[in-house]
Amino acid sequence: MYAQAFFVAVFGLAAIGFGVVVFRTSSMVRSALALLFSQTAVGCMFLAMQTEFLGVLQIMMMATEMSIMAIFMVMFMMDPGGMGGMDMTHQKRFSIGAGVVAAGVTIVVAFWVDWGPVTVEAPDAAMQTRALGMELLGRSMLIFETAGVTILTAMIAATAVAIPVQARANKGEMESPE
Amino acid sequence: MTLAIVLLALLASVWLLAVTEGWTTTGRLRPAAPLLSGLAHLGRESIVPRTPDRVFFETAPVLFLIVAVLGAAVLPLAPTLVIADLATGALFINAALAYVLVAVIMAGWGPNGAYAMIGGWRFLGQLIAYAMLIVMPITAVAMRAESLVTTVIVGSQGSLWNIVYQPLGFMLFFIAAMALAFRAPFDLPIAAGELGGGVDAEYTGVRLAVLRLARLTLVVTLASAITVFYLGGWHGPLLPPWAWSLIKTLAVAVSMLLVGRYLPRIREADLMRWCWTLGIPLALLNIIVVGVLVLVVP
Amino acid sequence: MTAILIVALVTGAILFGIGVYGALSQTNLVMIMMGVELILAGALVNLVAFWRFLHPEIYAGQMFVLVVMTVMAVEMAVGFGVAIARFRARGSVEMEEARDLKG
Repeated sequence: MYAQAFFVAVFGLAAIGFGVVVFRTSSMVRSALALLFSQTAVGCMFLAMQTEFLGVLQIMMMATEMSIMAIFMVMFMMDPGGMGGMDMTHQKRFSIGAGVVAAGVTIVVAFWVDWGPVTVEAPDAAMQTRALGMELLGRSMLIFETAGVTILTAMIAATAVAIPVQARANKGEMESPE
Repeated sequence: MTLAIVLLALLASVWLLAVTEGWTTTGRLRPAAPLLSGLAHLGRESIVPRTPDRVFFETAPVLFLIVAVLGAAVLPLAPTLVIADLATGALFINAALAYVLVAVIMAGWGPNGAYAMIGGWRFLGQLIAYAMLIVMPITAVAMRAESLVTTVIVGSQGSLWNIVYQPLGFMLFFIAAMALAFRAPFDLPIAAGELGGGVDAEYTGVRLAVLRLARLTLVVTLASAITVFYLGGWHGPLLPPWAWSLIKTLAVAVSMLLVGRYLPRIREADLMRWCWTLGIPLALLNIIVVGVLVLVVP
Repeated sequence: MTAILIVALVTGAILFGIGVYGALSQTNLVMIMMGVELILAGALVNLVAFWRFLHPEIYAGQMFVLVVMTVMAVEMAVGFGVAIARFRARGSVEMEEARDLKG
């Protein structure tokens, strides 16, 4: 139990630390990869909390997701390497205030609420995977299917938005010179 | 104890693979060559390019090596010879191998060189092509075994290996594994002829040695994964289980090298198009066929 | 054991706070999305902690985590689609320059 508390706390600190780095560095690739390692630390927290399937899933998904984020940063930022030290922020004081208030309120609530009896024993990992599968294809099947269809819709919508207007208009012909 | 044995087996496989690679390219069998070239790398100067992203530059080779070994940690050599027999082993190896991409991007961005950076981002494009073909065949394998535990997956192939049961999945996974390991027809990130070494270009000395070792370890890990998922792992007559695992792993690794030697490098756009228009429908077909087989054949 | 739950909740809260700061203070669309991802990561930590320590027998809790992960993926896809369209039209994804989107 002490080991569990220790690992949850260590990975939690790592997640927070990398989370801070995301907005402290001016190099965009560093920022994206710091977010990646923050998410990985969150995944490790899941593992420390004996939620094996979700932890591994989180670790796996975020690697790809955040790497793609990194390349978009490089594509869209004026100073992706952070060599110029540009300031990319606005309304700083308000944002810090909002962030502190948001975190503070949630922390207060976390301490305030009486969480009641806490379960000590987690189900064994193989059992969990099985039960989650049963849940996915049983009671929550509709939600799961909806999530899948939502991703498909988002993919189509994103592609439709991202294709240039010119290409859409001249479908089937040669690409017109820009 | 298990840890030491598995790591030793991994190291031995890497060494044999390196010797074989040297043998096929130079035509001379020199068992000491990998060791000597490794030592030579240690002796050389480790140049750091101008204004690098130092954190990435230093971390990338080490991260690469760590994830390759982590991937091997869930793959069994024999029924009890596995470092971590996780309940989600088949998913864990995906998670570990996803970080190969992170390591390559870091190695590409870190040195502040144009070729290296292009190589790193190319690998991201390559990932978008092969990622689905890694996950979907493994799904079909897990469907047959009715488990994500790697030892159970091997156990499920006792009567019939998955290469016979789902040959389509095997082919797709083999190709995707070669793309993941960026071996010859898919070596876009290092593309010796056009990118001047790509991701490898700016690395010298110790760091290059670690990077090379990591790449070979990755090949062995992937070959071991193919063995576990499709070639029946430790199953085989006469020889002890671990010997069969090692023989199959090495055979797969060598065949990966050989296939690469006779194929021209694929263009990035072609790779992407074929993977998405041909590979993913085939992978879905494979899942459907396996699903039907699992339900119909007892 | 309540201590671990509290540790996890506090971590989630701080990640949420950092995310809120990032989403509000950054001027670049992609950086704002990073803030949103951090907010969602905080939510994920809380969800898993609640599932593990309060109701480990109800797997709808894990299901909820999967749905939040889906939301993260969808947010990325749509966000980048919008970013590409915006970059094509105006040559930048700076939010300060996007005041013309205001009604």
